[in-house]
Amino acid sequence: MKILFAILAAASLQFGQAKLPQYTKETRSNGAAIAMMPRSGVPLVHFRVLIKGGVESDPPEKAGLANVVVSLLRRGTTKRSAEQFAEELDFLGGSFNAAFDGQLGSATAISSEFLSKDFDKGLDLLADAVLHPAFTESEVRKEVARDVDGLKSVKDNAQASIGMYFRSTFYGRAHPYGNPPDEKTVSSIERKDIIDYHAKFYCGKNMLIVVTGDFDPVSAKAKLATVFGATPAGTAYAWRTAQALSRKGQMLLIDKPDATQTYFQIAQPGIDKKNPDRATLEIINTLFGGRFTSMLNDELRVNSGLTYGANSQVGQNRLPGAIAISTYTKNDTTTQAMDMALDVLRRLNEKGITAEQLVSAKAYVKGLYPTQRLETMDQLASLIGEIELYGLGRDEVDGYFARIDGITLEHANATIKKYYKTGDLTFVVLGAADKIREQMKKYDPHATEVSIKTVGWGDR
Amino acid sequence: MRCFTALLFISVLANSQNVQTATLANGMKVIIQEDHNIPNVAMYFFYKIGSRNERPGITGISHFFEHMMFNGAKKYGPKQFDREMEKAGGNNNASTGEDLTTYTDWFPSSALELMFDMEGDRIRDLSFDPKMVQSERGVVYSERRTSVDNSNFGILYEQMHAAAFIAHPYHWPVIGWPSDIEAWTQEDLKDYFAIGYAPNNCTMVVVGDVTVARVMELAKKYIEPIPRHDPPPPVRTKEPEQLGERRLVVKKAAQLPIQMIAYHVPEAKNPDAVVLDLAAMILSTGQSSRLYKRMVDEEPLALSVNGRAGDALDPTLMIFTIQPRNGVDPARTEKVLYEELERLQSTEISARELQKAKNQLLTQHYRQLKTIAGRAQLLGHYDVIFGDYTKAFTIDKDFEAVTAADIQRVAKKYFTEKNRTVATLIPEGK
Repeated sequence: MKILFAILAAASLQFGQAKLPQYTKETRSNGAAIAMMPRSGVPLVHFRVLIKGGVESDPPEKAGLANVVVSLLRRGTTKRSAEQFAEELDFLGGSFNAAFDGQLGSATAISSEFLSKDFDKGLDLLADAVLHPAFTESEVRKEVARDVDGLKSVKDNAQASIGMYFRSTFYGRAHPYGNPPDEKTVSSIERKDIIDYHAKFYCGKNMLIVVTGDFDPVSAKAKLATVFGATPAGTAYAWRTAQALSRKGQMLLIDKPDATQTYFQIAQPGIDKKNPDRATLEIINTLFGGRFTSMLNDELRVNSGLTYGANSQVGQNRLPGAIAISTYTKNDTTTQAMDMALDVLRRLNEKGITAEQLVSAKAYVKGLYPTQRLETMDQLASLIGEIELYGLGRDEVDGYFARIDGITLEHANATIKKYYKTGDLTFVVLGAADKIREQMKKYDPHATEVSIKTVGWGDR
Repeated sequence: MRCFTALLFISVLANSQNVQTATLANGMKVIIQEDHNIPNVAMYFFYKIGSRNERPGITGISHFFEHMMFNGAKKYGPKQFDREMEKAGGNNNASTGEDLTTYTDWFPSSALELMFDMEGDRIRDLSFDPKMVQSERGVVYSERRTSVDNSNFGILYEQMHAAAFIAHPYHWPVIGWPSDIEAWTQEDLKDYFAIGYAPNNCTMVVVGDVTVARVMELAKKYIEPIPRHDPPPPVRTKEPEQLGERRLVVKKAAQLPIQMIAYHVPEAKNPDAVVLDLAAMILSTGQSSRLYKRMVDEEPLALSVNGRAGDALDPTLMIFTIQPRNGVDPARTEKVLYEELERLQSTEISARELQKAKNQLLTQHYRQLKTIAGRAQLLGHYDVIFGDYTKAFTIDKDFEAVTAADIQRVAKKYFTEKNRTVATLIPEGK
């Protein structure tokens, strides 16, 4: 491991700046892009295949399709049964994870890791799954039925289910982020939908392959080109255009009669991945609700003991997302906690932050960055994927500390006024409605109420 | 597959070569690994105290204490630990279990001295502000509501443990019974600090962008002067042998049932523990595992199934957690589990299946070494649970030595009707 440490240390410490190690990227004649970052040392190789589309590519009435497709990749190919695939993968001690690239990701990510000596076997397994899945009728039926039951089990987890309700409420069903899969949409998925989706999206022009870790770049390049360069070129997926958020300033109340605490989110419009205010918002949100001593956690947890945790998140997806406060508290302190969260928001909006807070947040964000983004081969692969897929450029990493350092107090406080507003907020509340319904009227006299037992996520 | 193991072993050994250890005059053990990959440090403190050191009336106090460690000491008052740490670019967490309380600090190497100063301050001079105690009680109750009362898995796990252990302290939940959370006093906390937070009852692990010399210099300055005192008294109570199957039901609003079937198994140091780890791999790790194939894939019986026993200081449980599919009677998943356990008892597994489990266990172990945080965790864990951190680098020899006959033997020994507790959550009011 010594060699690896030496190289990375030189790269990441230079001038006190974060720096992305060099990588190569080449596009094959069929449009497939292959990026490689060889790093000798740890005897592991990490593959990450990205397929453009993700949550944006789900047909509205068949939400969940892209996810069903990726789950089925390993469930049998033209040359292996699902069982053979599992047996070979497990025997190598390899990993194979397939999911959206982030919850609201605009791509599907397939990540697979093997010992370096198993490069060929690993690549064969991965490519077989990605390029030649069989999608047999029996596997399709099993997967769809499992997914439907999986969605039922989400309802047994308050924190997971409030996230689904949040999507349909905040974005609205017409928005690609506002259409989470439910039992109905998933049940309607058929084998033909899956085969068509795979043929359309899993093609050269729509595919990025990232390889990081300990491997020989010369032979790897040839092997990757042979495997992924031979797949049909197809058509590149065109991102959907951003839609204005359809609704704001309303509440959805989800009734879970047995809940002994209320979970809630309070949200307003935020930014997309390329917004120039991104670094500034990361700093502001760190102070508002992004770390333990943040204003929200300090008030709701440390000072008052109302909750185990209160936070705020700024979505950074391809399309503009939300700035959302999340927390929970016992039934009879619901309004106390909500009022307190709103009060903290008002204080931020009116008073802004201080020079001392700004210094602290900058140090915090920069201090944690290396362990969060630059430490492991899978983190580096994920970073390269994002840079290439969304056209962020190397500056995403190399210019990051400079962008943080360049934020002035004036700019930070002006940015607060621009984004952290106190009106037109969306509330999503999950709890025992009988105990909190009346009190919720002061936030929205026309709140919509839905039972958690009703199939779906509140709007269809 | 020998070369597979050999290859891993070489790189793992490369890691063990730059691990240094020392024991301070007050008895605290220090384990250091220099790693200059990124300019960051993981500094972990493992206190050998947890819910097994509690008694009825103060259940959950180890965990509550962990919270109080962030609420002010002599030099750094309330909120200061987190504020100073975050301002220096660091972050922290802590966790409490049955056996251990672990404090985990991650920070840029420039904050090393500050962290020693603050850790020394709170170990030596923790204050117990009554106002902070009261407010923190609310926080902990909220944590309980989230992880137990409003979590179907959490509540079943708690009830199952309480039934499987009738005498040993693993009987009560780490977070504590609600009435104890509401009732513990200032005095309880002070008494507890006096027994648990002895420097001689702790192992410190520092991994990352540091030098051994600098860490030792700071440890001598900030930690060594803290006086040693008596560690917690030994846990006397041993769980008596179970004399017959125990069954319990939890009725709760839910979409799907949950089943937990637990068998008493030995502590981590017992040679059977590693055999059971491999048995767990064979049964439920990966889509090629026996239970996954049978229950999730071939028959639509369960959404998920997994079996595991954690490394524990005292005899513990191997728990099979099953989420039956919608409409499936939990009696069926239970029956299928027993059939698979019986198969493990009656027929010796093939050489390939055993090797697959070994490969899986080894790569899983190995992946933990990728980050400074993962290595700090692993080194400390092996030091306090096994009494020797180098075990982290030789555990593969133990895996390799396990035979198919060993798997069959432990399956017969532990997976018996008399030794099991069956807990089922049944949805009500659907």
